[in-house]
Amino acid sequence: MRKQDFKRISEYIWEIPPTYRDDMRVPARLYASERLLEAALGDQSLEQLVNTATLPGLVRYALAMPDIHQGYGFPIGGVVASRTSDGIISPGGVGYDINCGVRVLASHITYDEIEPHLSDLASVLYQNCPSGVGKGGSLKLDRKQFEQLLHEGADWALKEGYALPEDVKRTEESGRLRGADASKVSKRAWDRGISQVGTLGAGNHFIEVDLIEEIFDEEAARAMGLVRGCIAVQIHCGSRGFGHQVCTDYVRAFQSAIHKYNIQLPDRQLICVPFKSPEGQDYYGAMCAAANYAFANRQVLAFHVRCSFEAVLAGKVGDWHLHQVYDIAHNMAKVEKHEVDGKTVEVVVHRKGATRAFGPGFEGLPPEYRPIGQPVLVPGSMGTASWILVGTPGSMEQTFGSTCHGAGRTMSRSKAKKTIRGDKLRNELEASGISVRAGSMPGLAEEAPQAYKDVDEVVKVVSGAGIARKVARMVPIAVIKG
Amino acid sequence: MTHTPAWEEIEHTADWALHVYGADLRMLFENSAGGMLSLIDGEADPQGTPFRQIIELEAPDQETLLVDWLNELLYLIEEGMLPTEVTIRRITGQELEAEVTGGPARNLKKHIKAVTYHNLSIRRTSEGYETTLVFDV
Repeated sequence: MRKQDFKRISEYIWEIPPTYRDDMRVPARLYASERLLEAALGDQSLEQLVNTATLPGLVRYALAMPDIHQGYGFPIGGVVASRTSDGIISPGGVGYDINCGVRVLASHITYDEIEPHLSDLASVLYQNCPSGVGKGGSLKLDRKQFEQLLHEGADWALKEGYALPEDVKRTEESGRLRGADASKVSKRAWDRGISQVGTLGAGNHFIEVDLIEEIFDEEAARAMGLVRGCIAVQIHCGSRGFGHQVCTDYVRAFQSAIHKYNIQLPDRQLICVPFKSPEGQDYYGAMCAAANYAFANRQVLAFHVRCSFEAVLAGKVGDWHLHQVYDIAHNMAKVEKHEVDGKTVEVVVHRKGATRAFGPGFEGLPPEYRPIGQPVLVPGSMGTASWILVGTPGSMEQTFGSTCHGAGRTMSRSKAKKTIRGDKLRNELEASGISVRAGSMPGLAEEAPQAYKDVDEVVKVVSGAGIARKVARMVPIAVIKG
Repeated sequence: MTHTPAWEEIEHTADWALHVYGADLRMLFENSAGGMLSLIDGEADPQGTPFRQIIELEAPDQETLLVDWLNELLYLIEEGMLPTEVTIRRITGQELEAEVTGGPARNLKKHIKAVTYHNLSIRRTSEGYETTLVFDV
């Protein structure tokens, strides 16, 4: 694919017409600056975007956000909306880490207050929040309790004392997808998931302590309780082995089922079935259970983070408490209603490495967020800035209420591992004032900031295109990784 | 004729990808397991109780059989058992029987969430078989 294959719709919108490939059903659109488009041409991500434009039942266009990069099946940063009436649901599109997402907690602790205790805090967070490959958590749940967790998500955590009522209200979908059906989940997924509640995992998952460096929207920041010069915490993780197994099971089962529905695909990982089919409904029930698992998982981790703050900072800072700003999913298929050609259409919006970004007035938001729009949490790469944005009327009009989810990788993991040494990187981060606790040095190297795009440019594109608005920029002061 | 190396890591922006070779289907499946285990880079605890397991699988096609096979090994690892030796005892395009031995997993450097079907095809070459595997990490 070449730059000439794109039609420039506006400064930040590039379109590949359906004539580009015979099997495209709708155009494919990329949100990017010229530089980010050129970066995206460097891997297979744009071919993957075109592949998603071949799925049945899509409305308007297949989309990709400026943090696009090569994934498997969908590109990371991909968004499609498929009619529930005659469209599809794709477990391959949602991916293995169902409801991978981000939570932000904020405080009134200043940098000067926390600085003398930062190293201790990083160590206690690393100790209290189990991370790394295959690590189990401290929660011992029986099967009945686990089934409740799968159906109730964040409400389960509230009932068990791991959440404050405000946390649940300030979570996408109030932390509970009502369509969850634990009976559609395999025994294997149960076995993998039951011991991992409240664990971070490995890979790109992390807990980060940040300093709120700049506020761009005072009204929105006030509603979220974000204060310039104060500390916030990000938690990035998902549904652990439970979600991985749900996806594995349904991608496998649909390899046979797809023949029944006569769907042709350019890549087997895009595997899908009609949303309304028995198979589609089974997957949706299982996916919602995995989503609830992830909401509960991030909630239990937030509990551990609060315990760590209390243990290290109580009596030493003015007010150590952390309040929830929001919790978002960035790997999910959601049933939503959107305007298409002047009509309201029910669609399944697949967001693969993209964040829901509903604008002001959306009823699912808590009252304090209704005037400003839904908070959007955009972690940058390790050692660089992260952003808090809000959804806009523009995201509702243009992108099915979606926006970017992060910086987006630009360097392969194998190259990062070859060119960057984990221990050297850790020393550099420490020298720049960031406390680092990591279980694996090669793992740290793969997540080096050099391996990612510039998150500020990604945010410039989404705000310039009107599909999100800037609220606050944060910089890291401690990073905890598996 | 045997291709050397039996597998090699290839560039992939977000995940890991391996190009794998095998003189026959049996070797391709064994080498795929070897490549994946080398990425995970763990060790079996010599003090722990060793295990031996027979894995029998059926699939509609050989690509699905390959994904199933590797996902079986990932599941064992998730359960705390690291395979150190894998032998495919019998294989057709749609069935396999394998013997896996190993011990309790420790010091795993990397985590693989799953084996994907992304652009997966097992190809015949003049040297035997080859394929490209993409892992979600």
